[in-house]
Amino acid sequence: MPKQSAWRQVARPVSLVFLITAASYFGYFGSRQVTNPSLHQIMAAFFGTTYFISIALGSVYVFASSRLKGAALGLAVAACFVTPLAWMTKEVWRISESHPLAECLYYYLNPLNIWLVSFMFVEMGLASLIIRPLLRRRGLGPDGGPGAAMAVVVVSLAVAVSLYAWGKGENIYVLFLGGYRALFGSGV
Amino acid sequence: MASRDKTNRRQALRLIGSAAAAGYVGLNWPGALRPAHAAPTQRPNIIFILGDNHNADAMGCAGHPFIDTPGMDRLSKEGVRFENTFNTTSLCSPSRASILTGAYAHNHGVKNNHTPWTGQMPTFLENLSKAGYATAFIGKWHMPGHGLPKMPYLDLFVSYTHREGQGSYFDCPMIKNGRQVASRAPYITTEVTDYAIEFIQKNQAQPGEQRKPFCIYLSHRPGHPPFQAPEDIKGRYDHADVKEVLPDNVDPYWYGKTKGNVFQGVMMGSYYDQYRKYCETLTAMDRDIVRLLDKLDEMGLAENTMVIYMGDNGMQWGTHDCHGIREPYEESARLPLIIRAPWLIKDPGAVRGQMALNIDIAPTFLELAGAAMPGHVDGQSLVPLLADAKAKGRDDFLMEFWRYFPENTPSYKGVRTNRYKYVEFERGRGPWLFDLQNDPKEMNNLYGTPEGDKVLPGLRKRLGEYLEG
Repeated sequence: MPKQSAWRQVARPVSLVFLITAASYFGYFGSRQVTNPSLHQIMAAFFGTTYFISIALGSVYVFASSRLKGAALGLAVAACFVTPLAWMTKEVWRISESHPLAECLYYYLNPLNIWLVSFMFVEMGLASLIIRPLLRRRGLGPDGGPGAAMAVVVVSLAVAVSLYAWGKGENIYVLFLGGYRALFGSGV
Repeated sequence: MASRDKTNRRQALRLIGSAAAAGYVGLNWPGALRPAHAAPTQRPNIIFILGDNHNADAMGCAGHPFIDTPGMDRLSKEGVRFENTFNTTSLCSPSRASILTGAYAHNHGVKNNHTPWTGQMPTFLENLSKAGYATAFIGKWHMPGHGLPKMPYLDLFVSYTHREGQGSYFDCPMIKNGRQVASRAPYITTEVTDYAIEFIQKNQAQPGEQRKPFCIYLSHRPGHPPFQAPEDIKGRYDHADVKEVLPDNVDPYWYGKTKGNVFQGVMMGSYYDQYRKYCETLTAMDRDIVRLLDKLDEMGLAENTMVIYMGDNGMQWGTHDCHGIREPYEESARLPLIIRAPWLIKDPGAVRGQMALNIDIAPTFLELAGAAMPGHVDGQSLVPLLADAKAKGRDDFLMEFWRYFPENTPSYKGVRTNRYKYVEFERGRGPWLFDLQNDPKEMNNLYGTPEGDKVLPGLRKRLGEYLEG
């Protein structure tokens, strides 16, 4: 199998997921301009779902596809972050309407972003386990056993679940606000 | 902080007003005015019940299509409901500090939920305590600072610091007079209401000559998220048609998630279900209001006790594509307010249209108790409006908000009159100007229009007067 450039290894899956996210964003918010209530509901339900899936579950596809095209592990992981990071940055941009830059940067650490990243690693671990036979067949490795990927799945899943289970997410949010106050006081 | 020690013209006028009010209240203490509600001539008891993020329309008595609120409905039938009640700062901690002190946030200093309560400005509970009342603070304190404040003047202080003072709906660890105590009732509204009833019973058990009038500040957690109702109320509105209440542009599954954070919504369920659960928590709180009212009847105290129900903030459920309590729209700023005072209200069941504010609560109680009005109070007593449906209310008030991380609402200042609302944002947005008479849903910003230009100078002038103090 001819070796592809790093760009070609990740460009297609990353672009596809990003475009679905972008289209879903415009489709979802565009649906609010639709005056027919039924059509509005259908559009909102469809694009809201694709919006969520592309951000939250896109890593499975991006990771698997990149690795199957021969991308190195680090590159595949980085590729998975493109769309979620773009979405997080959109959220940071949103709150910059009200808050100064330093506080907006702190917003990257909000519990929901941490939850998302934890879940991305679950997906990457699962994708890694699923594509192992295909990678072997294509002569792309992996060299070691599945232990590392399984550990990533277990640890990341534990973090993702416990973040939510711990006071239904309230407790971690309290920590996030405590960190904010330690850095910025009341902000006003 | 306000210069509360400084004697000025305003303060002198207030003192004169207080003296006049004491005379007025003397005529309006229980038993003095209405033979139908004759009671021993003594200062009235006060029970102030506070809800959380309670949209003013989410009550049966306000015309809500399905929510069960028999307690609030009873209060409204036996008292008066103020349909134009507002907070001066649309955020929990500042609004609560304004209720307790009667002062605007720029004066009491609690500007957002991160700004500590300093305790430098006395609360109405302190003033009432000095005036001879037995006082209790029971329930949600929720103001920033290290733990709960020291309020030695209180006869009972039961609250919690759990989860930044938000507490929890079930098995919330409590702090009673500075000591951590276990939860005694599984559900939080039952827990705090039990404390209130016990406080009243203890007060009534004292010999007549030693018994003081009492004032209870009873602060509930509903309807703050995450919305959790007790088992027997859970699911009560599962089949309720929320489309009657929520705006058309709200879709049940994704609204409030994509614009805010897509994952938060996924973990919390659909928007329709969120609203249903919100109503369930309000119904759970109302059930304990019913229980408290029944207990007052049983103890023969109903005629001699002012009972007030109010919210700290309103709540936007999808209007203007917004969810929450901070935006300067009517749904955020408008509060439920119902007052029952049988000896004072000549037209029970009436609805008052005059504007009332969260900063009016403290002066109302102080006037009712015949206590002196402190110089820091910015609000006006509601006693005249209770006694006379035609009494003149205020013409306008100051709206103020300081940005609160991580929520996305810029700091703003504004003035709301009986007809117009004008808001200036610190950054990020241009000014808002709404004609509330012709555009009650605030859909058409008149700023920069010929119509808006006609009224803008007057509104700006009034805002400037407020800001200059």
